[in-house]
Amino acid sequence: MSATERTTTGLTSSRFTISRGLVTVGIAVVALFILSAVFAPSSVSQGAVLGMLPFFAVLTCVGLGQMLVVQQGGIDLSIPGAVSLSIVVVSRIPNGDSNLLLPAVALAFGLAALAGILNGALIGWLKLNAIIATLGTNALLFAVVLGISGGSPTTTTRLLRDIAGGLSFGIPNSVFFALAAFVLVTVLVKKTVAGRRFEAVGANPVAARATGLRVRTHQATAYVWAQLLYCLAGILLAGITAQPTAFQGNTYLIPAVAVVVLGGTSLLGGRGFPLATVVAALFLSQLDQFVLAAGVPFAVRSIIQAAALAVGVGLYTINWAGIRARLAGRRRVSAVT
Amino acid sequence: MAIRNRIVLAAAALGVSALALTACSSGAPSSNDTVATGAPVAGAPSWCGPNQITLGLLDGFGGNSWRKITTAAGADEVAKCPSVTGYEYADGQGDTQKSIADIQGMVAKGVNALVVFPDAGEAMLPALRSAYQAGVVTVPYRVNPGGKDGVDYDAWIGADFTTDGENWGKWIKTNFPDGAKILFVSGPKGNSQGEDELTGMNSVLGEGGSYEFIGETPFEPTNWDPALTQQVLTSAIAKNPQIDVIVSDFGPSLVGALPEFTKSGRSIPALVTSDGNVLGCFWTDNQAANPDFKMMTVATGNDNVRLAVQYAVAKATGGVLPDTTVFDAPVFEDSVSGTPNPVECKADLPGDIFLSAEMSADDQAALLK
Repeated sequence: MSATERTTTGLTSSRFTISRGLVTVGIAVVALFILSAVFAPSSVSQGAVLGMLPFFAVLTCVGLGQMLVVQQGGIDLSIPGAVSLSIVVVSRIPNGDSNLLLPAVALAFGLAALAGILNGALIGWLKLNAIIATLGTNALLFAVVLGISGGSPTTTTRLLRDIAGGLSFGIPNSVFFALAAFVLVTVLVKKTVAGRRFEAVGANPVAARATGLRVRTHQATAYVWAQLLYCLAGILLAGITAQPTAFQGNTYLIPAVAVVVLGGTSLLGGRGFPLATVVAALFLSQLDQFVLAAGVPFAVRSIIQAAALAVGVGLYTINWAGIRARLAGRRRVSAVT
Repeated sequence: MAIRNRIVLAAAALGVSALALTACSSGAPSSNDTVATGAPVAGAPSWCGPNQITLGLLDGFGGNSWRKITTAAGADEVAKCPSVTGYEYADGQGDTQKSIADIQGMVAKGVNALVVFPDAGEAMLPALRSAYQAGVVTVPYRVNPGGKDGVDYDAWIGADFTTDGENWGKWIKTNFPDGAKILFVSGPKGNSQGEDELTGMNSVLGEGGSYEFIGETPFEPTNWDPALTQQVLTSAIAKNPQIDVIVSDFGPSLVGALPEFTKSGRSIPALVTSDGNVLGCFWTDNQAANPDFKMMTVATGNDNVRLAVQYAVAKATGGVLPDTTVFDAPVFEDSVSGTPNPVECKADLPGDIFLSAEMSADDQAALLK
């Protein structure tokens, strides 16, 4: 993907997408909740929503991380390893001792930063292909996962279970963490000088370099921030599931890309849409709950989720105006002849 | 530019080779531990004959605590027979090709007996058959590789999951004589373990009677993934005002999910499943606050490997063959009757040990350190 290609989809069209992404996914969420209430009322009952929200929180963190990378025209396939690693670190290292939880959390973030620096160095500075570099990092992270755990994480500490799995004011605590991550990402990207530069680099690296911005540094930083967000997601997930597996992160790779795309962030890079990404995460999480509650067979569940993603991608990537124009033109031609 | 490209290439090559190296070094403990040779058969069990052999234990996927304990149990059983002069272990790491190569490698090295966990199922059959035809005593266990005893391998020492289903069914019938609404969760869609268990339960409870299975049939798929289990359970709780019994063939994955009942202001219902220390401790902590929370478990079956080892060693050393080739997991805990055991919890030991296994709890804990 060359920089010139990216410029064509850069700032000109992104002016629309800011509203388009949020509006589309916003309408989709509202429609989904109405559908849920009509066809599977149990999926919007209090218990079901409270059960869905923690997974929404995890997906939000992972999705925001992926969004930062996608903004820079990259993609991060090391999510499974990253999430699994932080799960294993916060469950294995304390091994049931709540006093060791804090050092374990610090270690998890430290390892995440290292993984992010590795990704950033390979892709930002050495200009390796993002898909290959992050897949390699993923394999390395899983090697560490196996090294620490031998493939078997243990039960999460009681403290983490209470923090990540508990409720405050009737809302799952994990939601507050996700909210904090969202606010942090939004403020940093949208309201700080560094964040504005970051976004400018994503929108058009060539122009950004011409104006003297440190393109490589910004591209590399995206991977570091992303890893920190995956790490948060892993820690939350460890607390939510209480008895996680060592490969718990595997199921988050596709949804993480999906929420970014559904949120309207272009896979070619450009502006990021944190709020739309969060709403998309809510959409996918509720979709899971809806198909479960609707009682459709397991196979159909997978198809519905895949179809939702296909429709989402189609909405943004297909040039609908062009197709409409072409169809209208053909009709006009056939009317004349 | 050319120089830079070369540097990039070199760095890439370095990265790739580093990856390849870690892939090799992070591998299995393919140890060559030789069991000390003792006096032939004196004081050894009857399945240990006089001929000296080497034995290989092959795992399709060795990466969880259940497997670690199972592997150690296998090694422990081997050590009981002094006629086994060499013992080797290989872990297929979930890779079918590696698992096949492991079998071929052991045959080439000249082991006399192979005990194989054929995770990949029928994909492992040709490798098993060629080992058998090469004259190696070949004993697959637990997972059914297809094929026939005495044709493709010596004997398949399978677990009979129908027995588990029957044991669960009997308990449900005893404790809910007037019928019950049952939620049955198992692993991936279509796995034969879940289907056999349902057959077992149906044989006791009768189909279409007062016992009703809610949710998808034959079982609600969870992939044995705790996160998905939690989502499935949340949805089932919201949908069904009455759930009397939850049946699961992997109890420990429910620990994160069961509190969903408490969050919805309901008591955790009766739970019929397989054992795990974390689950026993969960029951101990929560049974007072949840009046309907009764629990019954069957053994998770770490000792399946022991029967397989006994069979392989007996066949290869000329000992007495065990009188069965089917491993029946016994009932382990029952919180209502207390027989054969009341629910057990070793709070000071890790959650992922299995108190039903023959190996002592402390030994298991040491293994998982």
